[in-house]
Amino acid sequence: MFKRTIPFFASWVLACTSALAQQITFQATVDRNEIAAGEPVKLTISLENASGGSMTTPDWGGLAVMQGPMESSSFSSINGRMSRSVSRIWYLTATQPGSFVIGPSTVRVGGGTMQTDPITIKVTKGASGSENADVNGAQKKDPNLFCTISLSKSKAYVGEQVIATYTLYYRYNSLQPQNYDLPKLSGFWAEEVDMGSHNTGTTQTVNGLRYNVAVLKKQVLIPLHSGKLRVEPMTLNYLVNPGFFSSGTPVRIQSNTSELNVIDLPGAKPADFMGAVGDLRLEVTVGTPQVKANEAIDLSIRFSGRANLKLIDAPKLNLPPDFDAYDPKINDKITVNGSGMSGSREFQYLLIPRHPGKYDLGTLTFSYFDPTGNSYKQLRSAPLTFDVQTGTENGGATAGGPTKTDVQRLGTDIRYIRTGDLHLRPKGKHLMGSWAYILGMAVPPLLFLFSLLLHRRRKQRLGDLQGQRRRGADKVAKKRLAAAAAALESNDRNAFHDALGKALEGYFADKFNLGVAEVNESTIREKLGDLDGGRTADAYIALISDAQMARFAPMENKPRRQTYDQAAAIISHIEHHLRT
Amino acid sequence: MKGLLAPLCLAVTLPLAAQSSTDALLRRAEAAYSKGDHKEALALYDSVNTHFTSASLLFNMGNCWSKLGDVPHAILYYERALRLGPGADDIQANLDQERSKVVDRMNELPSLTLGSLWDKLQGGTDVDQWARRSLWACAIMAAAAIAGTWVRKRLAKRLLTAVAAIALVSTVCSALLAFYRVQQVEDRSSAIIMSPTLDILGEPRPGGTRLFVLHQGTKVGLMQRQGDWQEIRLGSGAVGWVPVGSVEVI
Repeated sequence: MFKRTIPFFASWVLACTSALAQQITFQATVDRNEIAAGEPVKLTISLENASGGSMTTPDWGGLAVMQGPMESSSFSSINGRMSRSVSRIWYLTATQPGSFVIGPSTVRVGGGTMQTDPITIKVTKGASGSENADVNGAQKKDPNLFCTISLSKSKAYVGEQVIATYTLYYRYNSLQPQNYDLPKLSGFWAEEVDMGSHNTGTTQTVNGLRYNVAVLKKQVLIPLHSGKLRVEPMTLNYLVNPGFFSSGTPVRIQSNTSELNVIDLPGAKPADFMGAVGDLRLEVTVGTPQVKANEAIDLSIRFSGRANLKLIDAPKLNLPPDFDAYDPKINDKITVNGSGMSGSREFQYLLIPRHPGKYDLGTLTFSYFDPTGNSYKQLRSAPLTFDVQTGTENGGATAGGPTKTDVQRLGTDIRYIRTGDLHLRPKGKHLMGSWAYILGMAVPPLLFLFSLLLHRRRKQRLGDLQGQRRRGADKVAKKRLAAAAAALESNDRNAFHDALGKALEGYFADKFNLGVAEVNESTIREKLGDLDGGRTADAYIALISDAQMARFAPMENKPRRQTYDQAAAIISHIEHHLRT
Repeated sequence: MKGLLAPLCLAVTLPLAAQSSTDALLRRAEAAYSKGDHKEALALYDSVNTHFTSASLLFNMGNCWSKLGDVPHAILYYERALRLGPGADDIQANLDQERSKVVDRMNELPSLTLGSLWDKLQGGTDVDQWARRSLWACAIMAAAAIAGTWVRKRLAKRLLTAVAAIALVSTVCSALLAFYRVQQVEDRSSAIIMSPTLDILGEPRPGGTRLFVLHQGTKVGLMQRQGDWQEIRLGSGAVGWVPVGSVEVI
């Protein structure tokens, strides 16, 4: 321990006033010259053997007062010699390393003034780095009064809750707040945390200095978009140490600026993601699953847990078009406290089925983002089915059967794919133009031609036979007629008529492939048909009957030569016209 | 002998095996489509389409493209399906719906359809229908003619001759229809624009004068081709050049 004796200049004054006077000393001592930042150094300024006026407080030169001043005075009487001393003790510290000079302190003793020497304190870097950078930075500005804004996270997802704490650190005995500017928030959804009435200050040691700490405000901040979001500094105005007579010294302090690095939710958002980030549970309750048509169904969808509940939108219900639904009522039981927003948000739907039937709303799904697991999680309800019974008729507004409603077109979609047999066929192959087609088209006509040829050949052969016969018929007729001609020449009447009749009958039989016995009036009419309107047949029959008559009766209608010519003409006529 | 038998066996069994595996592919595609996995369904249909085709298959592929949100491909496949099965109302309905998403309002290329009766007359999905009918008519004609030559009775002869004459006319008509149908099915004279936005240039070179701009899904007629450039023609009669890759032939 060092002692520095302070030489004094007014000792002669004291010596004059009192014979018994002891030596008067006024000195400042420190317990050590070198400290680490945050460590205390004890400064003692003592005045001995004098009843001086008030000693001045030295200039601290950048050091901070942790405690003090504490005053002590002592009297002692040794061998009748009285000695007394007055001392003031401070505990000082430094928040920063460096060299600090404690200025001189002066005291008025008698008619003179005494002064202590300045003391230099070396401060090395302290071991305590526990306080965060915000506090250190703010403390640097003014170690006696500062405020900070601290965020619970420096990096957050969009929608994740971050808690901002606004803290005031002060070392003055009394402070009187005047006005303040709260930071402007942009890009955040802010929710005030209810601090309650027990907002009592605590004490905290920062870099060795003891502070009264008051949490001014807490906010739950929910970033709304990604990027670097800033919480602008807040400004506070205080009056320091207001007394009864003085209004105090005005001090204006400004906090640090906090930055939050907001990152987008990773991956593709599920379709049923409604912006919830946190930890959630889903509870779906249906008032009465069995109702009658036109009666209301209560459907409540309740999300509970710790999340940005106030930012959750109403889930979309996939309602059948026969349901009327009203906008959901939102019941919030949300508390905002120091650890964020928690509680429950309930969406109450009132559904009114208009027609009876079984309705299946499917499973309700809801996705939220879990920032601790860095993943989306899906909540599923039990399948929602409603059995809507036929309503009472008098309950409806209309009487006499159900009301007709138009079939509404609710959406458009393409027609569904064809299933089953798709009538597949190899690509680019067609029957048309293929060898099979050409063959199929060529073969039937060829067959026809072949058949025609065959027919011709057969007909030719057949035609030969008939032609022979016909020629034969001619020949026979000529022969018969020749016999008749011979009889005509020889003027044999009976022979002529006999030969003529036979020639006519024979020709006809041969011509139409008949037996001679079959030649009669009806067959002649049939075969000769309407040749010349039946006159040929008549003439033929007349010729035959004339010949038969002339054979047995001695009378002749015409000259024999004429009859002969007639017969020859009719045969040649038939030959000419019936060539079949 | 054995060496000759093996390829023969293969030739008989191969189409059968192909048939069954194709069926399995189609069933899987149907299942995938009904589950909403349109991409998988499309891949399966596409693998079937490498060797086989039909209006239904192309229609289903068009549906897959439509569900995947690719309008030009959906239109392309519906057009192809409609060519194989003219007059099918489901194809026409889906095609109309996809066409409503096309940006360009265009005069439709003049088509040869004469309404639904003509479409029906063309034989629906069966390309070979008229070819088969012409074969039948030809056979009937020959049979009637052959019978006519051999029948003796006059009335029967006249009747058969009439039948043969009618059959001859039908043969010619149906053969013409079949020929027209094949021509139509093999027709590759129109295309669909695949690029989202396409500049139609005045010359077949980059940097040619920009005549007008078309968008994906628009149907254009194809004219001559020169290297990597294709001359196209619009319904309005306007003509210009585009890169070959920007259009796909129907």
